[in-house]
Amino acid sequence: MPQQLSLGLGTEAAPAPGIRLLDVGVTFRTPRGSVEAVAGASLEIGEGEFLALLGPTGCGKSTLLRVIGDLTDPSRGRVEVRGGAAHAARQRNEFGFVFQEPALLSWRSALENVRLPLEVVGYPADRRTARGEELLGLVGLLGFKDAFPHELSGGMKQRVAIVRALAWGPSILLMDEPFSALDELTRTRLQEDLLALWAVEHKTIVFVTHNISEAVYLADRIAVMSPRPGRIAAVLPVTLPRPRQPEMRDTMEFLAHVHEAREALGA
Amino acid sequence: MSDVDVPVGPESSLWERILPPAIFLVAALLLWEGAIRWLAIPRWLLPAPSAILERFFKVRNLWLHTGLTVMEAACGFTLSAVLGIALAAGIAHSRFLERGVFPYVVVSNAIPIIAIIPLLTIWFGFGYAPKIMIAAIISFFPIVTNTTRGFKSADARVLDFMRSINATRWQVFAKVQFPTALPFIFAAFRIASSLSLVGAVVAEFYGSDRGLGFLVITSATQLQTDLLFVAIAVLAVLGVGCFSIFGRIERAYGAYQADHEYQR
Repeated sequence: MPQQLSLGLGTEAAPAPGIRLLDVGVTFRTPRGSVEAVAGASLEIGEGEFLALLGPTGCGKSTLLRVIGDLTDPSRGRVEVRGGAAHAARQRNEFGFVFQEPALLSWRSALENVRLPLEVVGYPADRRTARGEELLGLVGLLGFKDAFPHELSGGMKQRVAIVRALAWGPSILLMDEPFSALDELTRTRLQEDLLALWAVEHKTIVFVTHNISEAVYLADRIAVMSPRPGRIAAVLPVTLPRPRQPEMRDTMEFLAHVHEAREALGA
Repeated sequence: MSDVDVPVGPESSLWERILPPAIFLVAALLLWEGAIRWLAIPRWLLPAPSAILERFFKVRNLWLHTGLTVMEAACGFTLSAVLGIALAAGIAHSRFLERGVFPYVVVSNAIPIIAIIPLLTIWFGFGYAPKIMIAAIISFFPIVTNTTRGFKSADARVLDFMRSINATRWQVFAKVQFPTALPFIFAAFRIASSLSLVGAVVAEFYGSDRGLGFLVITSATQLQTDLLFVAIAVLAVLGVGCFSIFGRIERAYGAYQADHEYQR
């Protein structure tokens, strides 16, 4: 029986559609001219949905994720989050970001790293430590709460980064190839951990990856992006039942999804 | 994924670390002492270690001179640390300041600061003020440049994360940029503290009647070479002291900073 976790501060407003991308385009100006990274991406992501953004390296999927999280401004089009602008959603601390590198603060222990966003968003001071310990416990790192990043393995660091992004109870988790720097075994373990966390803290997750089977195993739907300039080439629902089990990776159904996604990628 | 296991050798004891250099020091001093006696070198040219030691206990007001120079260097250093870190924070946060001021900070390093001592003496007289100012000016450059680098070397992903949770500029500075810069600041302090000592001593060469710099100049002009050596020895100890104190702080802090490369 999973432990019921406290939600963050007033993020449980309500309304319908989670995230809507409306003809989002991003063009970067560089000294050698302008580069179109994303060309007119439109997509709807439901509340509580696990969406994988799948595409080859350099297709602009990370850029698109940054646009959703209001870290990069779109050159055209717009993003709506729960009916409002992405900027407003960021102001409400609705986004939890996880990057490819853990990006932990090297002078803070694991627990202090998880506490960092709690200090920033004004989470009640007397509950920060308890909340941090609760989250580290969920990913099996309670015993390492006082360890510093250089004392943790790559997988452990990324677990800390994931719970750091969940700490204050944001409604949307934006993950930018979070497992791609990890070895195969560790990646598989973290995928299980992420699904378990998702079952407890039900977030909308946008998960950027270039790994087809990772996208199939984790997601409800896969948005396949074409090479640069990136556009949404296809949106594929994944019909595998939940909870996902490691054995499913060997089923015909799984392989059919992988095949379908590979076709959509044009690879 | 697992971190590399570094084989932990037996900690070398204090004795093992101190003994070899001590042996060489004693050997060098004995050689020096012996050479002076055998070759009958006059005391004004090169005094024997024993003569220097003898003189050391006889100098009047040595601690007054030393205290004064240390005070000037410490005031100059502190001034420069406070202003330098403040300016570096400004430069790191403002394009305008970076473009407008930073080039001058860099260029000022190429100016032989020593040459402005007479000017400062005209303006501020023969008291402590010009000495403190020289100590401050000479230690300003490494503090500003190193600290600026430190503030700017904060991890871009961490800064993105802070932005994604609406951290204020102050929160980003206090929680990310300043801790990132600390090892750079300690490295700068290590260099700047010895420089401030140099600044104070050289400033005392010109127009002063006390301080280790005064002692150096007067003993040299009067060919009291043993006294000159006493002053140099005290300065050497002070310089090494500054260097090792800040070096120690730097290493103690650096233990958490395994991920970061920083300027030596």
